[in-house]
Amino acid sequence: MESAERRITRRTFLDYLLGAGLLGLAGIVLYPLTRYLIPPKVTEVTGGSVIAAKVGELAPNSGKIFPFGGKPAILINTPDGQLRAFTAVCTHLACTVQYRPDLAHIWCACHDGHYDLRGQVISGPPPRPLEEYQVTVKGDNIIVSRKG
Amino acid sequence: MRSQTFLRNSLRHSAALRALLRAILFFVLLIVGSPSPSVAQQESCVTCHQALEGRLAAPVKGMDADVHAKRGLSCSSCHGGDPKRIGMDAMDPRAGYLGTPKPSEVPAFCGRCHSDPAYMRRYNPRIRTDQVAEYRTSVHGQRLVRGDTKVATCTSCHGVHPVRAVSDPRSPVYATNIPTTCGRCHADPAYMKGYGIPTDQLAKYKRSIHGEALLQRGNRLAPACNGCHGNHGAVPPGVESVANVCSVCHSATRDLFVKSPHKVAFDRMGLPECSTCHGNHEVARPTDEMIGTGPEAFCTRCHEPGSKGLAAAQAMRASLEALKSRLAEAETLVAKAANAGVEMSDARLTLQEAQTRLIQARNVIHSFNPKQVEAVTTEGLKFAEKGVAAGKAGLAEVQFRRRGLSIALVILVGTAILLFLKAREIERQKM
Repeated sequence: MESAERRITRRTFLDYLLGAGLLGLAGIVLYPLTRYLIPPKVTEVTGGSVIAAKVGELAPNSGKIFPFGGKPAILINTPDGQLRAFTAVCTHLACTVQYRPDLAHIWCACHDGHYDLRGQVISGPPPRPLEEYQVTVKGDNIIVSRKG
Repeated sequence: MRSQTFLRNSLRHSAALRALLRAILFFVLLIVGSPSPSVAQQESCVTCHQALEGRLAAPVKGMDADVHAKRGLSCSSCHGGDPKRIGMDAMDPRAGYLGTPKPSEVPAFCGRCHSDPAYMRRYNPRIRTDQVAEYRTSVHGQRLVRGDTKVATCTSCHGVHPVRAVSDPRSPVYATNIPTTCGRCHADPAYMKGYGIPTDQLAKYKRSIHGEALLQRGNRLAPACNGCHGNHGAVPPGVESVANVCSVCHSATRDLFVKSPHKVAFDRMGLPECSTCHGNHEVARPTDEMIGTGPEAFCTRCHEPGSKGLAAAQAMRASLEALKSRLAEAETLVAKAANAGVEMSDARLTLQEAQTRLIQARNVIHSFNPKQVEAVTTEGLKFAEKGVAAGKAGLAEVQFRRRGLSIALVILVGTAILLFLKAREIERQKM
């Protein structure tokens, strides 16, 4: 009688362990799946294109810095309402440039480098123009991609 | 009387003989030479000079690449004469022949066209026509007027036969060729003997950050000799204009400097602004060691130990070092996390902002105000801290993944063992 109880106990214990193991197995399969389905915290991943802004987010004569390929890029809505995007990394010493509404062009605060609305150098020490990106509007999104 | 008649006859005969020789020479050259199709039909200059040798043939050979010839100008456009005439008659001063100008005549010679806006507009509406006027204000131009014919004139820099367009990379005055062109005289101690100026400028320029940018990286916007001295009006920039010259590119630095206490002090001492610390021809890449009290610091050249100035220098250097150190830590952490496979693009963006503040702070040093520098480095430190936090979070994510993998492996192996045991038990029960 005692040995039967002991046998039942061992079997039950084995069943419990097996159940826990199978549960853990389900966990290790489901957890990565869930993490994959939930969008990551990062706003941008390295790639060929990115949603830089929503349509209407940028007023004319303003700009917005956004991450693109691990580096800052700048989206500009020109005073006459044209959307243009460039790398925001200054070609002089790699500072992040910004849009100056008072000047209506791109400016680097580090050494007073000025770029026009085509990314060409106006004045200051930058040696090269800013690389320009392709801007397309799809639905509500302003998508920026590298020029092919 | 007899002797006069003899002389007249001899002269008549010799004139006739010369005319005959010219005609023979022309026909011989016409047969021997193969004139360039562009101007040969009109220009006897080409026909004759092409068949000659040495320096007399060189002008024709070079004209194929000459910017003037490409625009349809010919020898006589500059040198005058009548190219329709045969042989030496073409070089008749009565036909406007000017010949080769003496060095002292070159600026006026070129200026006949190049100082005439109406004429030059026909070829290039954007071309400047004040070069000769500028040249007359230059050290070269002033010395030329005083009779020094060793100084540079138009052809010394632009070349002659061919004169190439400035935009032609083979032109001696193409941006990347300018230092060598100036150096042909200015780096030649024998040629410059007697002028009392150094001849090491070219060597120094080549070692400078500007020289590196222009000559090694091909950045045509980098200043060459003419960037600071001017080209046609070349003069050494005076003490009062050094900062203005540098601020053509480095305007933000200049704006900070003019508001700094150094501006007043430098003016009082008669020191040129930028070049006192940075030098002129050999402007080196600035380093953080230039500020502070270390052996490479410039501040100690004027400021006494224990002075307010050195304390400010130390404070500015400390602000820079604090940001650099935190930024370096953040970069290491973020790089480690990224190498371990964690997505770190947002963190990299944050570090880019910190780096921007560091570069800005290095420029703000020219305010010589520790508080202004600290304001920028404090902003940078905030980004660096975010970077450190992101890096640590990234590495924690790596640890979490590793722990997860270990647990998963234990569960897998454990479950496999349990399944084996269960299977064996079921087998035993069947028996």
